[in-house]
Amino acid sequence: MQKTGIDTGGTYYESSKMFHGSLQNIMGTRFDILIIDQNKLKSQEIWNDMVFELQRLDRIFNRFDSTSETSKINREAILEPVHVSLEMWTILKSCREYNIRTLGLFDITLDDFSKVLLDEREHTVIFLKKEMSLDFGGYAKGYALAKIKDLIHQAGVKHCFVNFGNSSILGVGHHPYGDAWKVSIENPYNPDEALDEISLRDEALSVSGNTPAYTGHIVRPASGETVKERKVVSITSKEPLEAEILSTAFMVATREEKKCLSGNFEIKNIIEYSL
Amino acid sequence: MSKKKSKQVDTSLRQFIKDLGYVSGGAALLATTPWLQSFTPDKAKEMKKEKARIGFIGTGSRGTYNIHAVLSLQHAEIVALCDIYPPNLKEASGLCPNAKTYTDYRKMLESADIDGVIISTPLYLHAPMTLDALDAGKHVYCEKAMALTMEECKAVYDAYRKTDKVLYFCVQRMFDKKYIKGMQMIHSGLIGEIVGERCHWFRNHDWRRPVPSPELERQINWRLYRDYSAGLMTELASHQLEVCCWAMQMVPESVIGTGDIVYWKDGREVYDSVNLVYHYSNGVKINYESLISNKFNGMEDQILGNKGTMNLATGIYYLEDEAGGKKSGIEQLIGQIGNKLYASVPAAGPSWRPETKEKYIPHTILEGEFHVNDGLSMIGALKDGSDEILSAFCQACITGEKGKNIVEEAYLATMLCHLGNQAMAEQKKITFPEEYKIPYMKFS
Repeated sequence: MQKTGIDTGGTYYESSKMFHGSLQNIMGTRFDILIIDQNKLKSQEIWNDMVFELQRLDRIFNRFDSTSETSKINREAILEPVHVSLEMWTILKSCREYNIRTLGLFDITLDDFSKVLLDEREHTVIFLKKEMSLDFGGYAKGYALAKIKDLIHQAGVKHCFVNFGNSSILGVGHHPYGDAWKVSIENPYNPDEALDEISLRDEALSVSGNTPAYTGHIVRPASGETVKERKVVSITSKEPLEAEILSTAFMVATREEKKCLSGNFEIKNIIEYSL
Repeated sequence: MSKKKSKQVDTSLRQFIKDLGYVSGGAALLATTPWLQSFTPDKAKEMKKEKARIGFIGTGSRGTYNIHAVLSLQHAEIVALCDIYPPNLKEASGLCPNAKTYTDYRKMLESADIDGVIISTPLYLHAPMTLDALDAGKHVYCEKAMALTMEECKAVYDAYRKTDKVLYFCVQRMFDKKYIKGMQMIHSGLIGEIVGERCHWFRNHDWRRPVPSPELERQINWRLYRDYSAGLMTELASHQLEVCCWAMQMVPESVIGTGDIVYWKDGREVYDSVNLVYHYSNGVKINYESLISNKFNGMEDQILGNKGTMNLATGIYYLEDEAGGKKSGIEQLIGQIGNKLYASVPAAGPSWRPETKEKYIPHTILEGEFHVNDGLSMIGALKDGSDEILSAFCQACITGEKGKNIVEEAYLATMLCHLGNQAMAEQKKITFPEEYKIPYMKFS
């Protein structure tokens, strides 16, 4: 993949010194970014880097693409140890760590992560249980958003707003005419009603929940029960990845578990809405 | 004319015209719907306090529906009833105890005490009965469609050209407020240039009636047999094709289509699934679809313009430049910053779904409540214009004034049905035959 010279589109608003980059189909959703106070050329360069990175991550995590590293692991790790890339190794280690810190509620196997054996010396992975597979659905967007945040800082961007499929949002710096980025959370059962308004300043917001058209996609690992309640959880955190992981964990957590989770993580704000 | 007994002209019909704004709207509006010209207040004065004496030929379900409508009119009385099926005749007689009953419509036509007849019989009887009734000097109102074959349609049209009697067919959408008002909007340019027309009628029903004994099968379930009926086209599509031409102010020059018996394989001879494309000389097409083993899509008459879409059956229109509905969060944020505003962005939510269709803002054709036909009844829907057209006919039986455009519209709609059936049967494109064109029709 050639990084230079790709046309990734985007619109520059000269009078507002604002760049809008948009990908309509990435990691199964849509990605939008507003970069403030950078000139047109610089904005375009930053955006090109982001597109390159997002497409690269999509190729690693997409379990419906048979050539992705995730697919390779899912195909082969039930049979024998699979050697993984350094990045995947780091990802799997962090998934294991989050699995433990969330009392098993965050689990990329949606089943039992303790049956995923990681060999520290060889950097290999093997599944100790048949019919096991990895699903980065509750992780990949947060990981990608963390990478985007790094790119933003490296480029020296002070103010920018990122919307990754409505459920993962990052506000860096502040709105040109305000002291933060304000977003309202939509009630999925009544799109005209706002559940809440959240101000983000160098923070990420992750929203998890059921919708009328899409209920039962959140699973409590081990028991395999799906969450059917009409509820939405929103988490605000400095760390996009932690916000992502915790919004799902809180959807399935019991009261006791929630208390524990709150102690284990530095969370700016958790709100649960029963609808 | 009738023996004068009573007092009232039809106030409801007058109110109907008033509602449409015709009285204040003036001559220009009436010019576009000439069949309503007879019902202005000036015309009302011409009406003497008379009652039209009406005979009914056919007292089945649709006949009974029509009887109820006529019974509610001040300017009509039912003096005769005719049916060959005794149970139906008996029931009708119960509704109109003073009406004389007949089993032979020809005998009924001999009566000098009848001004007009209302024919609600199976399609194959429309032409012979209409022609006999006109011959007998009666005004005639006949259910749609016009006739079972193209030849018969032409014969009825020719008879209409010669007679001094009134002839009406039940093209009730011409008397339906939603349609009249919607057409005014279309013709005033609201939805721009017409670029396409889509009509469909879906039901999930076998289209059968219970049969008390097997030899009555064809008599009662006549809609299913080719000698009696032309199937979905004449029973359902005829109304909708009429609407398409009314909107276009033109007649399609050709049609292609395919028809099948997909689901109701019960010995019937007519299609239970039809798909047709009618082609106008300027390239605009009518897409027509009817299926009676799935009712999901209901019924709609949709006129597509480059500036908007008119859904006449549900009485709702949409404008193209309002499409998109609510702007996305990021679009709103871009707008805010452009306008130097700081407000919250409605972006966050548990999921994102791709939209396959833009959202449009619905507008209603008529203000206030109005009736929408769900298309499911085999008999007829309330307030779909049927009552008004019957009232108009009864008034015409008194004044002797011929209805403008009504027979012409019924003729062209029925012809398009038969051409569609021919296209499906022969599996080829059928062009409107020269010998069946009438001066009323514009093809380009």
